[in-house]
Amino acid sequence: MDPCEVEFLSEKELVSIIPNFSFDMIHLISGSVGPFRAGLPVKVPIWLAVNLKQQQKCRIIKQDWMDADSLNEAKEEEKLSKLFTKMPSNHYMEEAQLLLNVASDDISDADRIKTAIKDIWDIRMSKLRTSIDAFLKSEGLHAKLDHLTAMEINSVRPLLPHALDQMLRIQTDGRATQSHYSGTSQ
Amino acid sequence: MYGRKGFKLISELDLYSDILPFNVGCMIEALIKEVLQEMQSLYDANVANSNAIRNDNNMALLPSVQLRHIALKRNKRCILAYIYNRMRKLKELRWELGSILPPEINTNLINAEVQWFQSYNKSLAKYMRSLGEDHGFNLTTNMVPPKTLYVEVKCVEDFGKLELDDGQVILLKKNTYHLLPRSVCEPLIRQGILEHKKYVSMEFPSYEQETQTIQLRSIKSDD
Amino acid sequence: MENNGDVQMTAENDDQEEEEVTAQSVLLAIEEAWLNEKFAPEILPHRSDLVDCMLQQITHMEENMKRLDKEDLRLMIHRMELDRIKYVITNYLRARLEKIEKYTIHILSQEATRSSEECYLTVAELQFAKEFLTNIEMLFKTIALQHMPGNFQTFEVDTLTVKPNLQTYVFLRANDRINGIIIPGSMDEEIDLEPGSQHIIQYSAVADLVKSGAVKLI
Repeated sequence: MDPCEVEFLSEKELVSIIPNFSFDMIHLISGSVGPFRAGLPVKVPIWLAVNLKQQQKCRIIKQDWMDADSLNEAKEEEKLSKLFTKMPSNHYMEEAQLLLNVASDDISDADRIKTAIKDIWDIRMSKLRTSIDAFLKSEGLHAKLDHLTAMEINSVRPLLPHALDQMLRIQTDGRATQSHYSGTSQ
Repeated sequence: MYGRKGFKLISELDLYSDILPFNVGCMIEALIKEVLQEMQSLYDANVANSNAIRNDNNMALLPSVQLRHIALKRNKRCILAYIYNRMRKLKELRWELGSILPPEINTNLINAEVQWFQSYNKSLAKYMRSLGEDHGFNLTTNMVPPKTLYVEVKCVEDFGKLELDDGQVILLKKNTYHLLPRSVCEPLIRQGILEHKKYVSMEFPSYEQETQTIQLRSIKSDD
Repeated sequence: MENNGDVQMTAENDDQEEEEVTAQSVLLAIEEAWLNEKFAPEILPHRSDLVDCMLQQITHMEENMKRLDKEDLRLMIHRMELDRIKYVITNYLRARLEKIEKYTIHILSQEATRSSEECYLTVAELQFAKEFLTNIEMLFKTIALQHMPGNFQTFEVDTLTVKPNLQTYVFLRANDRINGIIIPGSMDEEIDLEPGSQHIIQYSAVADLVKSGAVKLI
């Protein structure tokens, strides 16, 4: 899956904005948004928030969990834990990128937040690589991946299933007669 | 060695990512002819040997027959794989470039491929027309996740009034800043009227989508 | 959009609320269908009911939008949402077409064994598949097969069939609680899935669960 597709999915998450205009409730197919009252916070999906912000029609309020201090605490927890800790959002990475890129003027501490999130990401990715290594070595047949987020799963998507397929092929090649797997040409 | 030409054919696929010329008198045609010729001579030899085996009970010929048979199958597989992979590239081009291929590519196709392309086109158009209970739905647009593309630009030369797709009129005066659809800005940037201030995120109902809609309408109208 | 938005709705919008919840749930279902189709190695049972419904919603919305003033903020917002929905539908249907084009012979033979209630392909997809096969056969015949000796001229369906690899590993999230999934390749080891849990496992072990909606591929 392309990272931009993962990002597409993350844009459905809600975020609070403060519009500088007033407008009645808008009935979208995916649900209703608004009503918009200038100066009052309202929750909208991120794709809409980013758009309105780009047209200078609102300010974006950072997500509750985008607090540099609590993120740094979470980072320490992640370091200490062997397993993956639960992230405040299944799309924490994408949300951070989307919101901090477009609304860094609205979000105080944007840099510290970015750094904390990047650190958490690095720690988790490193853990992921180790887990995968162990998984493959033990010829794992199944694994539980709770608390892994969408972008993290996607990052191993080309490698992990493919490696497992190859291992399976090597194992069964001896016993197999003629079988056609996808990918072989005619 | 049997199958060398067949192998050469396949390696052409690897070496070139574009579709090579496949017309009368070209290299590919010559290669395929050679492979077919090899198949014919292998086959003839096998027929002769099989007769000998049957009539004279000459079992010593059996391994040769088997070998040639394998070579025959391999050659067939090579040729078909070659044709199949060219077809795959052609198919990709349909989705990338639309229902009419640029002449540079068309001239590289053998007649049968041109026919195939037209049939695929027709088939695809028919399928797309049937969607949404026969209202039709174009699958060749909306292929990437939509984002909004507004480009922040600075007007560096007086330009005057600019009308956008939606009818909005913008006054482009020197040293003013604007947030405009990228499709509108790009030509003006090339002409030096505007310059990029900052690259923001993406998209606006682009004029590319408009062109695609026109294509769908023309697909719908030909039968 | 979660239903918390409903809290802000006024009483007069009751009808619309019902409509919205339905359209909303159809949209969520289509998104799930898209991801399932994207990640499953084989073609899944079609959801043309969802597609038709959503396309109708889109047409409806586009009609309404024509009546809006050009300056209206809603125009831009609706347009964006429609682009998003079209993207999902497009890629759902394209994922299916790609599989049809890749596994044509296999899909057609499997489909032939199914009754009309159980069929995986829509009528239009079936037609497309048949035409695709015919066109390839014609291509092979014209360029090569007819010039081959003896019975090498045949379009050998068996040799030319490509089948999807059902043992490929997939990522999934359990929608419901599921007990007793046998892990392929193990000594009949069984696992249970908690709702909301995520796993990686061979597709063949969960194919039916994907089709029933008990799990979704991620």
